[in-house]
Amino acid sequence: MGTHRRDFLKKTALVGGALVAAPYGFVRNIDQAWGAESWVKKGQPIKIGVLFSLSGALAVPEEDSTLVMQYAIDEINKAGGIDGSPIEPVIVDAKSDFTVYSEKTKELILRNKVVALFGCYTSASRKAIMPTVMAQNHLLYYPTCYEGAECTQNAICTGPLANQHSKDLIPFMVEKFGKKVFFVGSNYVWPKESNKNAKIWLQQAGGELVGEEYIPLGSSEFGPVLNKIREAKPGFIFSTVVGASDIAFHKQFKQEGFKVDSMPIASLTTGEIETRAMGNEFGAGHFLSAPYFQTMDNPTNHKFVEGFLKSKYGKNGTTHYNMEETYISAYVFKYGLEKALAAVGYDALTPRAIRDHSGGIKVEADVAPEGLIWIDDKNFNTWLKPKIGQCQADGSFKIVKSADENVAPDPYSIYPESGKCTADGLVAPDGKIRKSVI
Amino acid sequence: MNIFYNVKAQWLAYVAFFLVLGLIPAYVDDGFLLNQMSTYGVYGLLALAISLCWGFGGILNLGLGIPFGLGAYGMAMTMQMQSQDSSNPIPPFMLNNSLDHLPMLWVPFNSTVIGIALALIVPTLFCAIFGGLMFRARVSGPFFAIMTLAMLSAWYTLILDLQPYTNGVNGITPPAPLKIGGFTLDPYSPLAYWTVFALLLIATFAAKLMTLSRFGLVVQAVRGDAERVRFLGYNVASYETAIYTISGLIAAIAGCCWVTLTQYVSPAQFDTTLSLSMVIWAGVGGRLSLIGSIVGAFIIMGAQSYLGDALLATWLLVLGGFFILVVRFLPKGLIGLVESLLGRFPVGLKKSNGDHQLPSGAMFPQAGE
Amino acid sequence: MALGSFFGSFELSSFINALILGVSIASIWLLAALGLTIIYGTAGVINMAHGEFIMLGAYSSYTLQSYLGLPFFLCVPASFVIVAAVGLILERGLIRYLYKRPLDTLLATFGVSLVLMQGVRLIFGSDPKYLAVPQIFQNNMQLGFLNISVFRVVVLAVTIGAAVALWALFYRTRFGVQVRAVMQNKEMAASFGIDADRVYMLTFALGAGLAGLAGSLFGVLNIVLPTMGASYVVQAFLVVVVGGGTLAGSVVAGGATGELQSIFAYFTNDTFARFVLFVLIVVFLRIRPQGLFAPSATRR
Repeated sequence: MGTHRRDFLKKTALVGGALVAAPYGFVRNIDQAWGAESWVKKGQPIKIGVLFSLSGALAVPEEDSTLVMQYAIDEINKAGGIDGSPIEPVIVDAKSDFTVYSEKTKELILRNKVVALFGCYTSASRKAIMPTVMAQNHLLYYPTCYEGAECTQNAICTGPLANQHSKDLIPFMVEKFGKKVFFVGSNYVWPKESNKNAKIWLQQAGGELVGEEYIPLGSSEFGPVLNKIREAKPGFIFSTVVGASDIAFHKQFKQEGFKVDSMPIASLTTGEIETRAMGNEFGAGHFLSAPYFQTMDNPTNHKFVEGFLKSKYGKNGTTHYNMEETYISAYVFKYGLEKALAAVGYDALTPRAIRDHSGGIKVEADVAPEGLIWIDDKNFNTWLKPKIGQCQADGSFKIVKSADENVAPDPYSIYPESGKCTADGLVAPDGKIRKSVI
Repeated sequence: MNIFYNVKAQWLAYVAFFLVLGLIPAYVDDGFLLNQMSTYGVYGLLALAISLCWGFGGILNLGLGIPFGLGAYGMAMTMQMQSQDSSNPIPPFMLNNSLDHLPMLWVPFNSTVIGIALALIVPTLFCAIFGGLMFRARVSGPFFAIMTLAMLSAWYTLILDLQPYTNGVNGITPPAPLKIGGFTLDPYSPLAYWTVFALLLIATFAAKLMTLSRFGLVVQAVRGDAERVRFLGYNVASYETAIYTISGLIAAIAGCCWVTLTQYVSPAQFDTTLSLSMVIWAGVGGRLSLIGSIVGAFIIMGAQSYLGDALLATWLLVLGGFFILVVRFLPKGLIGLVESLLGRFPVGLKKSNGDHQLPSGAMFPQAGE
Repeated sequence: MALGSFFGSFELSSFINALILGVSIASIWLLAALGLTIIYGTAGVINMAHGEFIMLGAYSSYTLQSYLGLPFFLCVPASFVIVAAVGLILERGLIRYLYKRPLDTLLATFGVSLVLMQGVRLIFGSDPKYLAVPQIFQNNMQLGFLNISVFRVVVLAVTIGAAVALWALFYRTRFGVQVRAVMQNKEMAASFGIDADRVYMLTFALGAGLAGLAGSLFGVLNIVLPTMGASYVVQAFLVVVVGGGTLAGSVVAGGATGELQSIFAYFTNDTFARFVLFVLIVVFLRIRPQGLFAPSATRR
């Protein structure tokens, strides 16, 4: 039997191997198969990919991003589209699963041939798709705050970087509530990077860090941390807790007897949606730093809020800062594409060309609800004005401080030894340029 | 006799199956599709591992994500180090975590060969140790399943927390595809497809041979009634550990392929949902059949890719419902349908295949498993 | 800073608060595990949908409160009843056919958990829901340097109440005798005229109801989300496994793990504490795989 089996296997292997190897000679070059067509044709709809999670754990922040993208696209198309052509979004559901993110990115780029991607909320999902985006030399619009420390040539980010986010918040809180502060964050990269930046502002403001704790992602047990806070007696708490944990934190904060007037929580994430979920009595009195609040008082914002909430996309009832950042990214794309088309024409247009021509693009105050912003022409993040809002008893935010000038985004602000991010790549102190640094 | 149980027929089916799979790149030159199907091949490897461990060995492993993730991380570290050179000696994320030199953990991954070897050895070793500890204490069945789940969560937490070494939740993104020698493995090429295919082929055939061997006979006996086998004098714990470790090795191979194809690994690889999905693939396809499980993985992941968007939010609902139906009415999975179908057309009395008197090719579900 | 030093500063008052907190954490884990203990201890069923039963309890309370305006203290027992009913349907419709296949119940209930989670998401949406409680529960109690939130005390009280009620049920009622008989040997009990099927059905419903009860309280303590149950499942299972499947075992296991979690978190940080706890549990199971107080029953 042993010989039979071995024999059989040998034969199978030989035959199988031959059959498997033979067609290799017939396979055509993949690049040739689809490289010849142009990305955008005059008069044809302009296809873009919208890659957010519509189901799963990340659906809460991301579904709104899809809705507001659709609203922005409708608005742009009604005003004539881009060079007369309407934008056609290809909307996919990333199911909060990084394998799906990765697969859908490939599908959108290779199969649907979209000219740009709008997507991702968590840095983890962005990191999952960037290899594909960079390998295909495509373009991702990432509309959320993140930690920086990246220098790619294929992304444009419209959310605040760590160095912009807490710059005003920390000195403001130190001034109002005292020098001592306790840092609490979820245990992953973004809170840790934000805290590193915050420590620098704290030191400059003359404050003192009396504690730093990280909670496992998704955990909702804050008893031990609050116990430590009670022992340390800070003047205020700086929170980078995200997601469901954020809500549990604020609830338990009040339930454990802490008073928001004497020791408020200043955060980078707790906005209108979170406050509504936790209940206004738990959210009132705390502070948030964001470039946008729903209650901002300017005509563009009034038009945006009213128009959006009345439209069929406004079912969730708020305009959160993350949604506004997504909204303006649609306009950044519009202006960038127009500029690139004017410069290189339809035939030579590539996603990379859009990105290269997007440096310095402005979204004026009559279009952007948060006010004038523009894209940095070196690292392609956004110059914006962080604002500080305090949650009121009805769940809305009152803006208590606004930056005077737009703040420069600097992805490597706390890592000067890594170099400076320029349009061509990361320039190290010794002059060497590295591309696609993530 | 049902031709389903005929070993030669089974081998023929396997050969035919792989022939079809192998010929696909001849007709498909869309890079995206090839890459997608290569990832399905990885899922097939994982389903194969589950089938071997659970269907064949009777050990429900809810933590196959552990060797899968560890293998993936090992390969990612290897690929990352390939992009580092003397002017740029350590991965960028480490600079952001205040590390100014390469940690001891990463040093061996400078060499591609050692890196890949570690990517395969470490998960296998872990399975051997963890499995050994558990099985020696006679923790089996549902308790063992829960422990694997707990271990999975523990690994997730550990990798997340060791941010300076693993980049925490953002994961490791090697900037370039895998290079072996001077040769780059393009994830969108037929070669990548065939690499995964070859590994799947070898793993399946090796597993099939294992099931037909004497070792396989004892493992099946253990699945049926471990106590009885113990009374017969066999060291049950070593057999259980062995099958658990082998399935861990297959998962580690799958992990390495995964990173080669997607250039990304993160703690999400240790998600409980992913590991439980692997069990679903094998369960739906038919855990008692190696090919059945692989096909189960193809079907479900294919449905997710192509129906998932059409069904949007209801996809998980449909999947869950479908899985409940399969467990309730088709305990042998979809391949069970094939088995019953073939049972209607019995082939005449065939001479037994040499010294295998027992229908060892047919893995009957035993009572109480 | 937090990751580096293993032993932070030690202050007696806050350490004692940490100990009290440990009791609260233990009560949360125990409450989450009680339902599972009943179901596993009696029928040997591993219910992967247990987390979703907890979630259903929270959503039941939310629905009753938002749409019917029921006051909170009525929502809690109502959630018990509603989720018990769901458990009953599930047992009759699915679990009943799978008792001889423990691994398959594990998988089938996993399918159920997917369906429940997605179903709730489709009906209610993915966004977190707000569960209102009376003002009195929103504060804390202070006795000198001792500090505990009122709601945690409520959870502790409910847990103790539930544990005592279960003990009374199992050891002081006729039904309890039947359950214990079926636990020890189903066939023998049946030959004495006990309707084992009915016992299984009722205990499953009871276990589900307890999960619902837990959920309605957890929704206040934390948050009401379709995915909220997932974080309780593994913890609950570990308590059951360490305890060995009996009520006494779960109480002790829950108490020990909760207290240890708090103590470790006091000295180091939450993440590390969780990991150390996992390792300890694995080691414990290696030494004593049947758990703390395993039932003297047929081998499973």
